[in-house]
Amino acid sequence: MKVVTGVVGNDIHVVANRLMELSLHARGYEVFNLGVNTYLEEFFDAIVETGAEVLLISSLNGEAEGWSREVRLLKAKYKNLDDLIMMIGGNLAVGSGNAEDIVPKYKNYGFDLVCHQVDLNSGLDLLEAFIRDRENKESKNQ
Amino acid sequence: MSLLQEEREIILGNEYVDTFDFAEVAEFVSNASKDLFVSHHFNTSDKMLVQPRGGFPTYKKQFALYEFFVDANVDVLPLTIDSNTRLNDYATAKKMLRLSEENEMDMLNGYPLVNHGYRTTRKMMTHFNKPVSLRHGTPDARLLIETAIAAGIFEIEGGPITYLLPYSKNFPLDKAFLYWKYVERVCANYSKLNEPINRESFGPLTATLVPPAITIVIQLLEMLLSLEEGVKSFSVSFSQTGSMNQDIVTGAVIKKLAKQYAEEIDCGDVAIHLVYHQWMGAFPTNKDFAEQLINMSTVIASMVGADKIITKTREEASGIPTKEANAKTVANTQYTLGILNGLPDIVDEQEEEILTLEVNAIMEAVFNDSADTLWRKVFNSIKNGIIDVPFSPHIINHNEMITIRDANKNIRIINKGNVPIPDGCYAYERGQCDLSKDTTSIVNDIIHDIGIMQ
Repeated sequence: MKVVTGVVGNDIHVVANRLMELSLHARGYEVFNLGVNTYLEEFFDAIVETGAEVLLISSLNGEAEGWSREVRLLKAKYKNLDDLIMMIGGNLAVGSGNAEDIVPKYKNYGFDLVCHQVDLNSGLDLLEAFIRDRENKESKNQ
Repeated sequence: MSLLQEEREIILGNEYVDTFDFAEVAEFVSNASKDLFVSHHFNTSDKMLVQPRGGFPTYKKQFALYEFFVDANVDVLPLTIDSNTRLNDYATAKKMLRLSEENEMDMLNGYPLVNHGYRTTRKMMTHFNKPVSLRHGTPDARLLIETAIAAGIFEIEGGPITYLLPYSKNFPLDKAFLYWKYVERVCANYSKLNEPINRESFGPLTATLVPPAITIVIQLLEMLLSLEEGVKSFSVSFSQTGSMNQDIVTGAVIKKLAKQYAEEIDCGDVAIHLVYHQWMGAFPTNKDFAEQLINMSTVIASMVGADKIITKTREEASGIPTKEANAKTVANTQYTLGILNGLPDIVDEQEEEILTLEVNAIMEAVFNDSADTLWRKVFNSIKNGIIDVPFSPHIINHNEMITIRDANKNIRIINKGNVPIPDGCYAYERGQCDLSKDTTSIVNDIIHDIGIMQ
């Protein structure tokens, strides 16, 4: 399965991004890592270019909030992205925030999976569970 | 008129520069007090020089910071430049400087030297009459360096590799090499007028599990690029690795090889110095623990035999430090240096030999590149992964090398990527680590290894 990942906005925090690439790779994904300082358009362009099924955006400095408001609008400009699995993780608020407030907000922005200050492997376990769940539903519908 | 002088006139014709008087600046450098030159202090002082970090937007606050440092018995003053100036955005720096001055609130994370100008800044530098080190992170530092030297700042940190790979995602590396060539030439030319201008490379790089072999190769290459242009005083540097033994080995090998590679290009007359950075990774939030870490760094710097130490503060984990905290570290570090006597002489011949073999193998691969000039050879070597810096955000970096810590916290290479580490050395490095673990456990180990001081 193909995954596009990167750090959104003007955020140069690279360490977790590299570790994410290593971990995704170890779990058998084909990884297209756009690295740090990535704009939303670049993520969607990469999805189209690679045909990836998962978009995994990360943020450390908290500016994802500002960018995420535009996700639905931008995604609608691209065709055939309805089945794209959208995940976001990291530190999703500037300053302090709690997951109960943050998760619904980001789900509203169009993300299927939202991980605020969740450790890397737990987050990736959630992604795997989500993919399995969706495959099961699809096979039932057929 | 030489091509360099033509380029200088274009650079200094910048609208943010208040008429640059070339003749007056040359005269100022020729007659400047020797005390302003760190190269002079290196030659005349036996003790390790202590230099903090620090830069504030306004003249007034920078002046006040220096007063605190002088009271704390500082050896070398820092001038840290704000991030707008680092990106050549002098318009934003100007606006933020005005806001900082009018509202008594810091709107910049450093001193906007170009906007203050050399005439104003020189007054501060000559008032304190201490050597000043320029700390920035600028890929195109041509205007900044001209302004700095004209202001009486005679140590310039940075380089085309060390100021790019840790800080930028896509600034073109080939341009950085050419911009830094200008800097080296200007430093070399001014060095003929008085004591030499000291150039210093930034060895910490990403400060995240960078193996000593990569650090040393990049230090040597930036030194050679600088010496090629005529620089006469150069400092190689590295930061605390997390293992005292690895620091001592790194210090011994870098000193030996810097001298050797300088001699190979007939620059044996150049003064080469060693600078040690106190721990550059994530700091403990507990401020008392942070002080213990800083103190330990000072002890290791002494074991390493550094000529200069660059300090951190107890407030490292919480943001830009206050001048009080900053000065406190200087005083504490001077105290520790004063009471450290009778240090044992530790030599680990096996580790030194392995590290030397690794560095020489990478250097040989760089020199064997088919390009015609050294900077192009280095550029190609970074592009094709012969040099690979762990955790660099730059798109040109390969990111294939993987490093972890062994049981003694030495940084070891477990995946060399395209870096030509000799087979025997590679087997030794891997042999120190538990490689039976799966990638998930290794990633967890890496996370732990990055944060060992927290």
